[in-house]
Amino acid sequence: MGNDHRRPLQREGVLFFGDVIAGLSHELSNVFNIINEIAGLQQDIVGGAQPESAGVANRLTELAGRIKAQVERGETFNQFLHSLAHSVDDANIAFDLGDTLELAGSLAARPARLARVELVVHRPESPVTLVGDPFALLLTIFGSIEVVLDAADSERRVEVNAAPHGDWARLFITSADPLPPGVVDEVAALEIGRLSWGAAHTLDPPPPEPPRRIILDVPAVAPALKATADDKGQEDPDGN
Amino acid sequence: MATDRVLLVDDEKEFVEVLAERMRSRGLDVTCATSGREAISAVEEETFDAVLLDLAMPDLDGLETLRRLHEIQPELQVMILSGRATVKTAVEAIRRGATDIFEKPTDVETLVERIRSARATRIAHENDLAEEHIEEILGKRGW
Repeated sequence: MGNDHRRPLQREGVLFFGDVIAGLSHELSNVFNIINEIAGLQQDIVGGAQPESAGVANRLTELAGRIKAQVERGETFNQFLHSLAHSVDDANIAFDLGDTLELAGSLAARPARLARVELVVHRPESPVTLVGDPFALLLTIFGSIEVVLDAADSERRVEVNAAPHGDWARLFITSADPLPPGVVDEVAALEIGRLSWGAAHTLDPPPPEPPRRIILDVPAVAPALKATADDKGQEDPDGN
Repeated sequence: MATDRVLLVDDEKEFVEVLAERMRSRGLDVTCATSGREAISAVEEETFDAVLLDLAMPDLDGLETLRRLHEIQPELQVMILSGRATVKTAVEAIRRGATDIFEKPTDVETLVERIRSARATRIAHENDLAEEHIEEILGKRGW
């Protein structure tokens, strides 16, 4: 598999994609900043208007406020785009699980809204540092959320939580509705999690009860990194 | 009363122009530069109470501009106004002598207030230097 020429090509493609999106996101920020200042200038000018034009002035001030609110909204989306773009920068890096969880939740907010599902993502109570590929973990979490969103039926509420679990992190992707049988078996994202992170998933409650949540166990350090060291003929420090 | 003098440095010309207009309407004397090199020329020619500097700029980036500005005028108060300064870059900017880091968008009133306090700091610093100089003269002449 290490000789497969498509893998470095795919990695280059992902890096290119990330780089370009990060650049465009920066340009978008510049545009938002300018619009924001123009709206601010409009408020300044209107603030100094004569009392007889107070009605128009108030209306213009209100419109400038609405422009600023939309800029803020756009910039929030842009920040997600920026974080997504930079998630591919390094496949071997220490990062906070809470940030990745929050990003996955932000990216899933639109599919959730379109599916009319309430999606609530909770950061872990304290920072949980993981070492490995943040992009692969993002795909794993996003794919897990997506499958649970798709299964939402009457209750239409999905919650995501995470907490440290020994040397691992444990994530819960919970639906208020039962997951249809076999639906998780087809999730490619969980396979990505297994291959890149050695992540293991279980369904809860176990059969024959219909499951309502995916439990995802992710090691603090991705074993894929150890495997790379093994490929190069280096000794495994754990002696495994 | 003397006016607070600020140099705005950002490669986005329209951003600089609009922010300058907003600051001028609040009584500040604003000079604009759209590159690090322009900023360096301006500081070589004039005195500013503060410089508001973007980080991501083509040619000379903000960190390098900051270093060169302080070579010209070590006590110059340089504040960073940047979009999403990474923690690493922000730490580096502080290490190189930046006095504040502001992330865009920052409320114009906050910026103006900080620039006014930079002026007070600069005047206090000049007074200290003048005092030291007078003491030195008095000491030399044995008065």
